[in-house]
Amino acid sequence: MNRTRMFSIALACALLISLLAGCAGTGTKHSKAPGGSTGSQSPAKKVELTVVTSYGGDDGNRKNYEDAVKAFEAATGNTVLDACATSNEEWKAKVLTDFETGTEPDVLFFFTNADAEPFIQAGKVVDIATIRSEYPEYGANMKDSMFAVAADGKQYALPSSGFWENLFVNTKVLTACGIEVPGPDYTWEQFLKDCQTIRDKGYTPIACSLFEVPHYWFEFVVMNNGTLDSQLDVPTLDSEGKLVMDAAAKKWIAGLNDIKDLYERGYFPANTLTATDAETVQLFGDGEAAFLIDGSWKVGYFTENYPDNLEDYAISYVPAKGDRAASEAIGGISMGYFITRKAWESPDKRAAAVAFVEHMTSDEVLSNFVTTEVTALVNGASPEGLNALQQSAADANANITGVVGAVQDAITSEAKTDLFGNVQNVVTGTMSAEDAVASAIALN
Amino acid sequence: MKSTLYRKKWPLLVFLVPALAFLLVFLYYPFVQNIINSMSEISGLGTPSQGMQEPWYANYAALFTDSRLRTAMKNTLILMVCTVVFQVGIALVLALLVDSIRVGAQLFRTLYFFPIVISATALGLMFNLIFLYNGGMVNQLLMGMGVIAENIDWKDQAHFLFTMLLPVMWQYVGFYFVILVTGLNNIPQDLYEAASLDGCTGLSRVRYITLPLLRNVLCTCLVLAITGALKVFDLPWVMFGAGMPREQGWLTGTYMYDQTFNRGNVDYGSAIAMLIVVLGVVLSNVANRVFKPRDDI
Repeated sequence: MNRTRMFSIALACALLISLLAGCAGTGTKHSKAPGGSTGSQSPAKKVELTVVTSYGGDDGNRKNYEDAVKAFEAATGNTVLDACATSNEEWKAKVLTDFETGTEPDVLFFFTNADAEPFIQAGKVVDIATIRSEYPEYGANMKDSMFAVAADGKQYALPSSGFWENLFVNTKVLTACGIEVPGPDYTWEQFLKDCQTIRDKGYTPIACSLFEVPHYWFEFVVMNNGTLDSQLDVPTLDSEGKLVMDAAAKKWIAGLNDIKDLYERGYFPANTLTATDAETVQLFGDGEAAFLIDGSWKVGYFTENYPDNLEDYAISYVPAKGDRAASEAIGGISMGYFITRKAWESPDKRAAAVAFVEHMTSDEVLSNFVTTEVTALVNGASPEGLNALQQSAADANANITGVVGAVQDAITSEAKTDLFGNVQNVVTGTMSAEDAVASAIALN
Repeated sequence: MKSTLYRKKWPLLVFLVPALAFLLVFLYYPFVQNIINSMSEISGLGTPSQGMQEPWYANYAALFTDSRLRTAMKNTLILMVCTVVFQVGIALVLALLVDSIRVGAQLFRTLYFFPIVISATALGLMFNLIFLYNGGMVNQLLMGMGVIAENIDWKDQAHFLFTMLLPVMWQYVGFYFVILVTGLNNIPQDLYEAASLDGCTGLSRVRYITLPLLRNVLCTCLVLAITGALKVFDLPWVMFGAGMPREQGWLTGTYMYDQTFNRGNVDYGSAIAMLIVVLGVVLSNVANRVFKPRDDI
């Protein structure tokens, strides 16, 4: 009888303990040996750093990032609990939610634009001036003038490599269709003619998933209907909640209608409304599609996934109309490393977090991440041994006459999701471009 | 003679309280909070409420005018019907077949149950490859057999329901199969022997002995299938994402997730969650009444 009672009590206790253990926070595991740091304080213990970045999925720098993390772990003895993901609206929402619910990482690699404002305004990350008061050499290898400035006038993130967005072309497909690789004087009219030729030859002219990533085309068609200088102008609503039909609204509407025109001409893949980005990029990579608008990160992707075909790809210029020149592109430095207040206020993690960011933004590591992208490094990056595609990107960038940030970064995440979600409705005619813009701006 | 464990009630309390505490913290508190959220003004995940909606039932009124939600409801009801007909139906046929063989029954049980243990995300990715437009298994097979001349977009408006429902049906057939096989094993063999003496074999045996005696188990399966269909989320989300194709692929679960987590429309997402709960309670009650187990079996 006593045995039964003891057994039942033991079982109940085990159940309670397991419940409480499940509710408990994840504490930092410490080992005995100290870790290294370049700051004024050395971490007394080896620590586990939680790091969230967008170097997951098919990011071209994924391997470089993993190598850099391994080097940091080997040098310091610290452990990096890496939570890499692919950068998209869902990932951004998850990162913001983690901050709201108190489960933010120690170090975050994230966008430095309006997307970061929620956790900056909530005081969840530490500004660079505060970090430098204790670690004067923090980010000393970078140009302060290139650090993103938050709405409160402070700088929070050490910038990583920059980016550019431009037109990738499959030269094999173009050759098969008798088309020259477009130059910096590429016009919209010529582009439409080329697309028709490519289509008639049985290829897909434009590799793009309008379901998943219409934003690359959106940026350029908006610029085509405006100018480089006015690219970041965002439409507004009047006091009655109606769209103000100013220049910004008109160019957004005209831009969406340009995408609709391309869709109706059949220049996108047949399954563009149901395909993923990965599927359409593969179409381009496999030589079944001619044009792809994407970013500098895709150079790394093709280098890793199509190493034998790099001669078949080139970086060209997005066709222009109106006042825009084809040599004007989207680009800048939009992401950087934040140190969270949670890590900063942890005596063990503070130095390790600073050391990690310093390591990831060092001249040596950043040089591995960049090929043709701009950096904030004082000495500049020194990439070596460019392959054919990287050289093509460098050549194209040499002809770029103007660069501006993406207008999508000037609107809220909710507005972006709504706008790009409605592109499929606009191209199929179930919603007007004007309604799509008004719907998105109402959420901005 | 009762043991001390059952005469004294406190050990039972010791076991029950942790479970109750768990439910209070992780089910009832969030449920009540969700009701409050659905009437509040919340602009982003985790952001504090900016007060009550004006009027407080604004989100519930919006449910009636939301065309995407109507699509989601329609698809969910179709899924429910298909679940009952195909999941439970196929599971019943398979259970009857496996019950009638003497060799290899255990092998079939394992094989049919296997899809349950695979994560829905992995299954979604696998079926994405099977139904891929360029180079997908189905398109290659059909093309190779000369059935089609051009690839079929299995996720377009004409095919998406089939593409969405097939993996869901396939995944859970094994679940109901195992329940039904267990039910079949509980039917006394004496009845079958007596029936065979009376000349009742084959389909008659199924019609007059197996199915009547399996009624209660079948009822349980049907109630589980109906309520389970309301919660289907992961596999369709991996395969179709946000409403693919052209806002026609929503289910109540995927639509609620998209509103809450992608669009940050937390209050409206909470209202949709309440609708799912109400639907679940109503439909499970109706199912319980229609498929009420009989005590005399």
